[in-house]
Amino acid sequence: MGSLRRLLRSLAGLLRDAPDPAREAALLQAHRERCLNFRVLLAANNRALELMGAMQEALRGPRAFGMDFVRASCTAVSAEVLRMARALCALAPGRYEALLPRHAAIAGRLEALLAPGPPPAPGPLVLPVAALRAADAPRAGGKAAMLGELGTLPGVRVPRGFVVTVSGFAAFMAHQDLRVELERLGQTQAGSGLDGLYSLSAALQQRIVATPLPPALGEALAAGLAELLAAHGPGLRLAVRSSAVGEDAAQTSFAGQYRSELNVHPDSLGDVYRDVVASLYGATAMAYRLGRGLRDEDVPMAVLVLPMVPSLCGGVAYTANPLDAADRTLTVSAVHGLPKAVVDGSDAADTWLLARGPQGPELVRAEHTAQETAYVPGAGEGLERELLDAATAGRPTLEPEAVLRLARLALAVEAHCGGPQDIEWALEPDGEFTLLQARPLGLAAGDGSGAAQAPAAAAPPPAAEGPDGPSVLYRGGVTASSGVGSGPVRVARRPADALGFPEGAVLVAPLALPEWAPLLSRAAALVCERGGVTGHLATVAREFAVPALFACQGAVAALPEGGEVTVDAAAAVILAGRREVAPQSREPRRSPIHGSPVHQALDRAAELVVPLRLLDPQGEGFRPEACATLHDITRFCHEKAVAEMFDPDNALPLPEGAARRLVCGVPMQYWVVDLGGGLARAVDGPTVTLDDIACAPMLALWRGMTAQPWAGPPPVNARGFLSVLAEATANPDLEAAAASRFSERNYFMISKTFCNLHSRFGFHFSIVEAEAGEDPGGNHVSLRFNGGAADRQRRELRARFIAGLLEERGMRVDVTGDALAARAEALAAPRVLELLEVLGYLVIHTRQLDMIMADPVESARRTRAVRDGLLALAGGSPRR
Amino acid sequence: MSAIRLLLVDDESEFLDLMRKRLSRRNVELTVASGGEEALALAATQRFDVIVLDVRMPGMDGLEILERLRSVDHRAEVLLLTGHASVESARKGLELGAFDYLLKPVPINEFLFRIQDACQRSRLRAGRG
Repeated sequence: MGSLRRLLRSLAGLLRDAPDPAREAALLQAHRERCLNFRVLLAANNRALELMGAMQEALRGPRAFGMDFVRASCTAVSAEVLRMARALCALAPGRYEALLPRHAAIAGRLEALLAPGPPPAPGPLVLPVAALRAADAPRAGGKAAMLGELGTLPGVRVPRGFVVTVSGFAAFMAHQDLRVELERLGQTQAGSGLDGLYSLSAALQQRIVATPLPPALGEALAAGLAELLAAHGPGLRLAVRSSAVGEDAAQTSFAGQYRSELNVHPDSLGDVYRDVVASLYGATAMAYRLGRGLRDEDVPMAVLVLPMVPSLCGGVAYTANPLDAADRTLTVSAVHGLPKAVVDGSDAADTWLLARGPQGPELVRAEHTAQETAYVPGAGEGLERELLDAATAGRPTLEPEAVLRLARLALAVEAHCGGPQDIEWALEPDGEFTLLQARPLGLAAGDGSGAAQAPAAAAPPPAAEGPDGPSVLYRGGVTASSGVGSGPVRVARRPADALGFPEGAVLVAPLALPEWAPLLSRAAALVCERGGVTGHLATVAREFAVPALFACQGAVAALPEGGEVTVDAAAAVILAGRREVAPQSREPRRSPIHGSPVHQALDRAAELVVPLRLLDPQGEGFRPEACATLHDITRFCHEKAVAEMFDPDNALPLPEGAARRLVCGVPMQYWVVDLGGGLARAVDGPTVTLDDIACAPMLALWRGMTAQPWAGPPPVNARGFLSVLAEATANPDLEAAAASRFSERNYFMISKTFCNLHSRFGFHFSIVEAEAGEDPGGNHVSLRFNGGAADRQRRELRARFIAGLLEERGMRVDVTGDALAARAEALAAPRVLELLEVLGYLVIHTRQLDMIMADPVESARRTRAVRDGLLALAGGSPRR
Repeated sequence: MSAIRLLLVDDESEFLDLMRKRLSRRNVELTVASGGEEALALAATQRFDVIVLDVRMPGMDGLEILERLRSVDHRAEVLLLTGHASVESARKGLELGAFDYLLKPVPINEFLFRIQDACQRSRLRAGRG
């Protein structure tokens, strides 16, 4: 099979001997194919570089990302690079095929990195709680394993039921390809922002609850249930609780993100099991995993099925102050009825503080809060909120003796587990405590003084104007998470209010509901009228280091919706306006995803994608076999494609006159390659003039490039010049390609509506590309720009300067280091042409600005000149 | 350029409906199929510039259709489109000769650029005969 190269050569030869219209047409046809291949290669090159930039940007943070991003980025970049390699092989058959096995090898390693871990070893689908110990957490989840462990302690009562294991969960997720389907939905339905998260969450959960249980799992559930019915009789009602792996670890507290259903009728177990599994994809949990960099497969969901515990009152016990790890004071919170209200933060609770005395815990302080209602099991299924009679409402939930007894139990658990604990408990009608769960308590570092002590006195009335002056909007509340945050007030009363929650706002809510957790990644601070430091939301706020002030009665009325406020959570005060705060009281908001499994996955993948080792196109090592990363292949393909298309030394002739020199009266040499329709008339000979050009985008670009003569290189002071010298000798990124002759040339590739300008001026490298056709939907304009001879900092300054100018004119701009990528699409053709003028101007007039960027006077003068020059262009004014 | 003759193959009827709507005002002559057999039958009787295949479909998947298409219609360029990002299936698809491999959701303009490029390639190839 004759290669295209040979075909062209013979065609060209024939053409020279005897002109023949049919052969000429064939030659033109082949030329167009080459041009298309080259254009495909350039487009793939741009996208591959953009994807690599996005991967690097993601790794640097601070935005969180999920495995869908990692998988999609790797797949897309691998596909684009393979397209480049194939396009290059089509341009020059038989010369670069060695790239394909290199790509396949890298792709294979990427695929292996992205593959989910091995499925859990097959095990029993359900296990009795009594058989579980702490070490069973990987197969039963932390909550279930801990419950089994607690059951072994003398004097500790726990509910006895069973757990649907991680193996049971895996069987469910494998049934009807549920897991694969969820991944597909995750990729395809992913919208942006919170609204997108909520709609994706709804779609995933619907899919889960609509998937039937695999028969074996259904049978295992029925068998477990039969045992419970035999022990408890037909009146049995169930508590069905999540027990996800990793759910209760101290550093990643999934506080309150998964569903637990109480008072479930046995007939509903299958449905409720799926509901609890579906809560893995609740917006709260998804936002949390995203914010934590956890993969879905990192949190398989076991589910506890327990008999309901009759509860006179219940609550939470902390064996240390969660705000101050050095403060070992115990806190007990309690409400009448089921402990749901404490855990949800939806109600005020009685609170006791206990010190550790020589003889055991000692009561330090008791706070009784009048409670009006309690959660109780409904007659058929589910919970009801019941009005308490006056006598019950008025008396504390626990007698001091019971508080001490509970505290001793809590300390026994702490001693057994070897660290501070967060324990959920219930008091049964027989006067005994049942422990419902225990998990390590997430602690913030503190000074041990107890200054961050949670329950301050009952919240004082809001201080509209007081001794502190008019700027204090509110004083009081308890510190749930310390720190200071400022932003506009946004009141959220119901979950729907979460939609459209603005970045950086202060969230103000009547109740401290777990539903607010997804907002914490964007909230500047959190203020709740109810709730305490022991609730789920407080735990998550501490974990994300969002300043939070709870139990602020009257705060919703006291804070102006939309008004700027500053919340100083540690000082329990809210001030009007944005306040500068002393640095020591400001806690850094670091991205929590660094080092996480998702971050690591991207990091490892990026190692195969991003590093560029193939630097010197003239060097020995510039071969397909030496390509170790996708960036290497990209670089190689780009360099060779340019050579194959344009190198005059290349044996492959372009068809007569395919690349014509532009006669234009500027010192730089430009060449024009017509991809079809770019010339107004048939042109004979090796040159074209501007009058020959029919490509509107090229003409617009040219107008910008020549609007003003270039002022020449800016005067460089000694430091700038030394920096250039030092950089030129030390920086291997400065493309040695600048040395090769053809790459010094500047090429316009044009059709009637398309233009690509590919230019290298010394160390500066830029690509402008645009389509300006009749259909605005298909139009686009882009600039890629990097390089320069000054040191990195100056090049970055220049990239940011250009980015600012382009953003002012409505382009999307990414700056990674000194590389700039700007893009705008779906514009009417006249706007594309205006932007092309701007880009043309910038490509010429920002060359070597980098060298003076560190000289404030000179750079101010030059950048002002660039701005003025832009304003003189037809479409050069800023707009949004 | 005359209208692009496009065959879109996807088992998801919502996606086909959406594309029918989004492409209605573009320069595209759209035919849809919901599975491999239907797509192969259409390709045997009609000429298409570009065929877009969903990779993961029940029965015959996109890669298999791509292989079998070559014996029916060697001119149409094939784009693979998938909701299941996979480095491996992208590599296989491109090696089987697909013009491009795209991930859902793909912005409609981006989708059209790629279809236009594929169409140009297909017509150049047809011109070569």
